[in-house]
Amino acid sequence: MGKFLNAALGIVIALFIGALIMLAQGYDPLASYAALFQFSLGSPYALATTLKNAVPLVLTGLSAAIAFASGPVNLGQPGQLIMGALAATVGGLYLDLPPWLMIPVLALLAMAGGALWSGLAALLRQAFQMSEFIVTLMLNIIADYFALWVITGPLKDATAYSPMTPPIARSGWLPEFGDWNSAIFWMLAAVALMWFLYNRTRAGYEWRMGGQNSLFARLGGCPVNRNFVLVMLLTGALAGLAGGLLIMGGPHRFLRGLGANYAWDGVMIAIVANNSIIGTLFYGLFFSAIQTGALGMELITDVPSEIALVLQGVLVLVIVASREALHKVADRLAVRRRAADAAKNERAVAQEIERG
Amino acid sequence: MNVVTGLINGAISGATPILLAALGGAYTFYAGVFNIAMEGMLLMAAFCAVWGSFTFGSWVAGVLLAIAGSLVLALIFIFFAVFLDTDEFVTGIALNIFTLGATTYLLRQSFGVKGVYAGPGIDPIPSLNFPLVAQIPVVGPILSGQNLMVYVAVLATIASAFLVFRTRFGLRLRAAGYNAASLDSSGVPSNRLRAYSLLLCGVLCGLGGAFLSLGYVNLFSENMSAGRGWISLAAIILVSGNPWGVAIISLLFGFADVLGLLLQSYQVPSQFTAMTPYIATLIALYFYARRQRKERDYADA
Repeated sequence: MGKFLNAALGIVIALFIGALIMLAQGYDPLASYAALFQFSLGSPYALATTLKNAVPLVLTGLSAAIAFASGPVNLGQPGQLIMGALAATVGGLYLDLPPWLMIPVLALLAMAGGALWSGLAALLRQAFQMSEFIVTLMLNIIADYFALWVITGPLKDATAYSPMTPPIARSGWLPEFGDWNSAIFWMLAAVALMWFLYNRTRAGYEWRMGGQNSLFARLGGCPVNRNFVLVMLLTGALAGLAGGLLIMGGPHRFLRGLGANYAWDGVMIAIVANNSIIGTLFYGLFFSAIQTGALGMELITDVPSEIALVLQGVLVLVIVASREALHKVADRLAVRRRAADAAKNERAVAQEIERG
Repeated sequence: MNVVTGLINGAISGATPILLAALGGAYTFYAGVFNIAMEGMLLMAAFCAVWGSFTFGSWVAGVLLAIAGSLVLALIFIFFAVFLDTDEFVTGIALNIFTLGATTYLLRQSFGVKGVYAGPGIDPIPSLNFPLVAQIPVVGPILSGQNLMVYVAVLATIASAFLVFRTRFGLRLRAAGYNAASLDSSGVPSNRLRAYSLLLCGVLCGLGGAFLSLGYVNLFSENMSAGRGWISLAAIILVSGNPWGVAIISLLFGFADVLGLLLQSYQVPSQFTAMTPYIATLIALYFYARRQRKERDYADA
């Protein structure tokens, strides 16, 4: 109950602050929000676009949420997404298999690309005790430049004006059913699988224990180091899959700046979802609705679509604050109740003594 | 000016924003705040500096607004992490994300451009020339003619070292991080010192951000802090916050920057040379972890 209250409260306050910002700059907030949700949820086509745009957000969000909940501070989703996208692109350029084989192979390549990059951070942690927190951040920037080199150098499309690779083989394109891109099914399947893995299997239980109390997990006999590496590889693979689906479902080639749009979204979504898997799906969809609708809003009411970034930032701050504030209020109520109980007990004891 | 002088000057320019941000972060490090908002503060300051310099036609206004912008973030951090007691890590990440969005939005809103603004109306921070000093052979061209903010960074290093190790404020600051409970029980609220340390961090990151957009270059581009706040965090961790150590590490990162430029003249693709500061950070972390491990082994034996 508290979770829903917190989410509803956070979203309302964030939208309200956004409205104040728009008002201060002379825009009509109500018309803007109406346009925003009209263009993200108002029609089957809009909804399909929102769902498709949610795929990288939800997958990188899952990656961050599972990592944070299990202990490893994997902030490397942007880099892992890029390496996954790059791996899928290379596969799509040099392989040509029938579609039923090609698509799973490219998805696996993407996951391997992401896992390679997070695995590098895990290796540095295991071998040299280098904190994965700063290592993953540095690897993000290194992956970014590496991808830029690949698409301006070895894999550049000679016919294009700006750096990009040629399109991948047709058999690697994700099928579309009307407006609905099948990347959406990959996303839903990943969420379901991760929910099951995390809540219904022993491995998931061990990871959760490791995240909540690593000493308890160690004393209980969990292989803490192995779990660390496994979680890093899994979360890297999820972010890599996000990159692969982005290539296979969207522009079908690696364009310059591909990863930049999703840089911090995964971490942000995991934070507001408090690392819950269902919450990640919900906020991923919500963030996608804001981002998708913002472009339509710009057409109708001239509000720059970058307001979506401000709304997201405000939402993160508000939800984090309201979560703590609710905790504090709940704590204070609990303390007061306990104090009242204690006072009642004390009175009862005193009466007993008086009576002898 | 010969090549070596040029290299050293390049390293000093590259080091200055990292040094200023890291000095700010050092105060919060000593006060026991896990502050990762330097990245956001630098970015906000860089934007405000360009906006102020453009709007009022003076770099002084730019620097003042940069400090103000960075201080606003520091105040939000204080409100959340010190007053509401939210998780410092989450708050810092949220602030960085918020700043990235806000500066991108403001860039579009104020200048009507996406990506980069480099108009002619931006008044840069001047360089200082000392005619007599410049005459000194060898070191003259290094000591004289640097950007004003470089001298500010040097003064800030000396002032920080003095403040942290030689004053009552510094003692209390370190006590807040070392043992907050005993500081509280001696009648000095440790939360107040945490708040002060964040304000100092805001001011220093404001100066660093202003140098980034009005000194190092004369423009604002989206996400132009480009990980410097994270590098400054690494610098702080490597030397446990010591201002002199922070200065040396920042210079090393500055040299990594220049090394990248040098490699470019040997036909190494620019995308690889641009990675050097980040790879240097990884190497520095390796040596830090190795030293930590040795100390632990020594303590265990």
